Amino acid sequence: MSQLENLKSELKNINQEYAKMKDLPPGQRKDFGIKLNAKKQDILAQIAELTAAAETGPVLPIDITAPAAPGQPLPSLSRGTKHPLMTELDRVIDIYNRMGFNVMESYQLDDEFHMFESLNFPAGHPARDGYDTFRTAEGFIPPAHTSTMQHRALIKYRQDLLNGGQIAVVIPGRVFRNEDVDATHEHTFYQCEGVFVSEDANLGQMLGVLRNFFEIYYGQKLRVKTQPGYFPFTEPSLEFLIEKPAALGGSGWLEVLGCGMIHPNVLRAAGIDPAKYRGFAWGGGIDRLVMLKYGLSDVRFFESAKLDFLKEF
Amino acid sequence: MKISLGEIKKLVPYDISTTELVDLIGSRLVEVEEAIDLAPKYQGVYIVKVVECQPLEGTHLSLCQIDAGRDALIQVVCGAPNVYAGMLAAWISPGSTVPSTYGRDDFVLSVRPLRGYDSHGMLASASELDLGEDHDGIVELEPDSATPGTSFAEHFGLDDIILDIENKSLTHRPDCFGLIGFAREVAGILGQKFQDPELLFVSPFDIDQKAPAIKVENPELCARYSCAVVKFDQPVAAQKYLTREHIFLFKAGMRPVSPLVNLTNIIMLQTGQPLHAFDYDKILQLAGTQPEIIVRTAREGEQITLLDEKTITCDANDILITANDIPVALAGAMGCQNTAVDQNTTTILLESATFSLYHLRKTQMKHGLFSEAITRFTKGQPAGQTFPVLAETLRQLNAKVLGISDYFPAPESRVVVVSAARINQILGTNYSLDLIKTTLENVSFMVETSGEQLTVRVPYWRTDIAIEEDVVEEIGRLLGFDNIPQTFAKRDFVAAENDPLLALKTRLRHILSDQLAAHEVLTYSFVNQDLLKKVGQNPADSYQIINSISPDLQVFRQHIVPSLLDKIRENIRAGHDRFALFEFNQTSVLSAGKSSENTPVMGHHLGLVILGDYYAAKVLLARLLRELGIDFVLQKFESADFPYLEPLHSADVLVGETRLGSIGEVKPGILRQFKLAAPIAVFELDLAKLLAAPQHLPVSTVSACKFPAVERDLTVSVPDQITFEAVEQAIKDTLQSLGLVSSVLPVSIYQATLEEPRRLSFHLKFTDPTKTQSAEQISAIIKQVTNKLQTLDAQVV
Repeated sequence: MSQLENLKSELKNINQEYAKMKDLPPGQRKDFGIKLNAKKQDILAQIAELTAAAETGPVLPIDITAPAAPGQPLPSLSRGTKHPLMTELDRVIDIYNRMGFNVMESYQLDDEFHMFESLNFPAGHPARDGYDTFRTAEGFIPPAHTSTMQHRALIKYRQDLLNGGQIAVVIPGRVFRNEDVDATHEHTFYQCEGVFVSEDANLGQMLGVLRNFFEIYYGQKLRVKTQPGYFPFTEPSLEFLIEKPAALGGSGWLEVLGCGMIHPNVLRAAGIDPAKYRGFAWGGGIDRLVMLKYGLSDVRFFESAKLDFLKEF
Repeated sequence: MKISLGEIKKLVPYDISTTELVDLIGSRLVEVEEAIDLAPKYQGVYIVKVVECQPLEGTHLSLCQIDAGRDALIQVVCGAPNVYAGMLAAWISPGSTVPSTYGRDDFVLSVRPLRGYDSHGMLASASELDLGEDHDGIVELEPDSATPGTSFAEHFGLDDIILDIENKSLTHRPDCFGLIGFAREVAGILGQKFQDPELLFVSPFDIDQKAPAIKVENPELCARYSCAVVKFDQPVAAQKYLTREHIFLFKAGMRPVSPLVNLTNIIMLQTGQPLHAFDYDKILQLAGTQPEIIVRTAREGEQITLLDEKTITCDANDILITANDIPVALAGAMGCQNTAVDQNTTTILLESATFSLYHLRKTQMKHGLFSEAITRFTKGQPAGQTFPVLAETLRQLNAKVLGISDYFPAPESRVVVVSAARINQILGTNYSLDLIKTTLENVSFMVETSGEQLTVRVPYWRTDIAIEEDVVEEIGRLLGFDNIPQTFAKRDFVAAENDPLLALKTRLRHILSDQLAAHEVLTYSFVNQDLLKKVGQNPADSYQIINSISPDLQVFRQHIVPSLLDKIRENIRAGHDRFALFEFNQTSVLSAGKSSENTPVMGHHLGLVILGDYYAAKVLLARLLRELGIDFVLQKFESADFPYLEPLHSADVLVGETRLGSIGEVKPGILRQFKLAAPIAVFELDLAKLLAAPQHLPVSTVSACKFPAVERDLTVSVPDQITFEAVEQAIKDTLQSLGLVSSVLPVSIYQATLEEPRRLSFHLKFTDPTKTQSAEQISAIIKQVTNKLQTLDAQVV
């Protein structure tokens, strides 16, 4: 007897069972009916499935690895790409934004005042030489760091501070250094600056905030450490290092940014009283984060516009 | 900068491991790039005495028997001309590596027969020991200065660790460019009180005669100039022996020169203060018997010949040391040849001074002069130390001092007052007053306390300490920034804003890449003028880069598109076809003027190029703007700022009255310059204007209409002067005027020959919201559309 015939005979039996219902005490009839109905529905479903299969024939296997069924047109595989640097910058900004930082974009042509003077670099100070800045015939500077925006950020949000709030800003942007290009040096690259000012900001807060950023960025708890640094616009000045996250192989330390407590002269230049308010600031490169993330060894690909490179992302 | 830990340990006894110390220095003073252990390099090198030395006939070789402190003499064949019986030499024993090859090709010595004699290892030249280039002869030690068999490394202090220090983060710490200053920091880091050597505070040298006179044109050029005239009984002879002083210099990356220069260099390495010796007799010959040392800026074009025999032309920034106005040195950089010390010199003028670091920085860059001395001068050596260091040098020279002078018009002392509370507020710590006081005193600050207040007297060598934040840094650093508890910043619970332009770019990036299959690229902001000229833009309207070391970075670009055009060919050659490239970036033109803060007005642009015609670019633009909900129109191309577009195949993109940019095909003549074939279409939009354009929310037109829709295809024959848009709009308007819910989709555009009119086919779909339409009603609707089109000279076929 086939499976279908079996099921049909079982159905017949169930239909006959219904006759027994009238012999039961009224209290048990409902329960009996529910159970019998369920059994009947189950058998009906099985019969329906077997019947359908008999009509359409068996389901044949397909090659799940092929791009299309035989005879079907192949789907178009063309797709666009986003530049990995821009994708990373978006991600960095998104994290800071969620942490509560406003976002401003940096300028690609700026002046001596914003690049140096407002940042407590005295005129002719040797620290200016360290930045290998480009200059234009018109007396402007393609900025060598996103810190060129600190003064503007302080001024833009100063009123929030004076109203009892805080200044919290990050500033991504393209910056420039006048140097020869090779596998590890680019004259054009991206940085992200951060500025925080409040009545009670301190260095411990700075370390906590930066660690939090990198923990979110790498999705794991991280140990951090510092090295003394020197920037005219922060005092104290530090280099900030994180332990190499598991995603990057996880051993040793990575120098990820420079940071420090904002120099009182920088606050003063923006009309903020350093006796009343304190702040911290930091800045770091984006290119390197991307190179580490994907294990890239040549920074020159970023500005090459080579589709072979871009299509890898 | 190279720092010997062996020397540091002499100044600061410590008992932690090198690794721990290097970690502490790294986290509390300066980045250590590398800690180099010298000991393995000199393993197996011994001091030996040559006992017998016989020339091997017919060769330049000698057969030597050497005493290496072992039971028997050892035989070595030596080719050096200076080998002799009785000399003390350095011997590289068999089985050990020649130091100069250590870590490179690691040449290991053995016992080798030479001219029939076994030679065990070799007697070494300076070059083989990696102590200079001299390989003309073997090194010789002062007789009886060591017992044969002594380890070479131990005797000379080469069993040492050398720290390679990243100079850049010490630019504000001239004191750390001397071993004493560096050691003081190490003491501070370890929580030990540093014992400052007395030489730092020596009282004025006791000498009657003050000579020569010193005149400084402007105290800003030279805050202090100390000098002395010293007479030797006879010329100071060159050293033929290898000494510990030589090794001290080698470990610091310097070369021994002459005993006098070696001494001044060693003192510089210890204190950070460079010294310079002039031949005083030559000064007298040049300037007469009453030379006055005058420190002045050079006259424009003034020429001097330096010690290295190069003649340079000075400018008004360079500082010169002159004797009665005759230049004898380029201050801080190099002496002049006219007063160079030589083997006949018996009287010297010894200079210990400090100069304006700003002037010296420029001098260094302009004349390309790099030396250990100028590296230190350009950190701004403290005026307080020039005289004490001069006095110490005179003491060590042990010669007759004929005269001594000191120009020091404005000694300064600095005091910083700061409270413990302020320090703790800035750092986020809870350090006690006592801990703060001790920490500062360990590195030679004099501290008095009164209540919570600290009055900090700054030692003269700490030129970097002036305000309370500087003292805060000292505390944070010396006690370890990494020991500060990490907390979070406190902020009000208000929404943070994103930069609207950045947010727009992110949105556009996703549409262009994910939906429209275009590729985002980045190209340089500065371009070669030729690129602008190729596309017909005027380079004179660009900001000009004047100091680029790359010849290709000449002007700030005016548009993104030309840079993208420049990137097409190599991608085609790499096998890609039918692609679109886009970039968001800043642009600028001089004619856009300045902002309210007097900086250039920057454009924020989107540039896109596609291998295809006008319509290929247009479909991308239309889908992009539709996605943003922006209604735009394309108008007759009239944009002078897009000189590279073919006007008949281009259009201006407008939203209301605002022109966002232009779209079109690049002129074939211009494409040829990029070695590209037509058609290539582009658009470039001003994102700030796009951001300001009104965006409409989608308006739902789907009704709960229960009556069936009617679908009809319509083909219209259209003369050239009638636009597609006019025809499409006429159909839409007619259907709408009849109260129908409708959609009109283009199906095809056909033109058999250029002489015939185009045939535009549309698919019409319309519903009467009030009733089911009868065949008559439908015919009437189509008739109305046909009539309307006829008014445009367009015939329904």
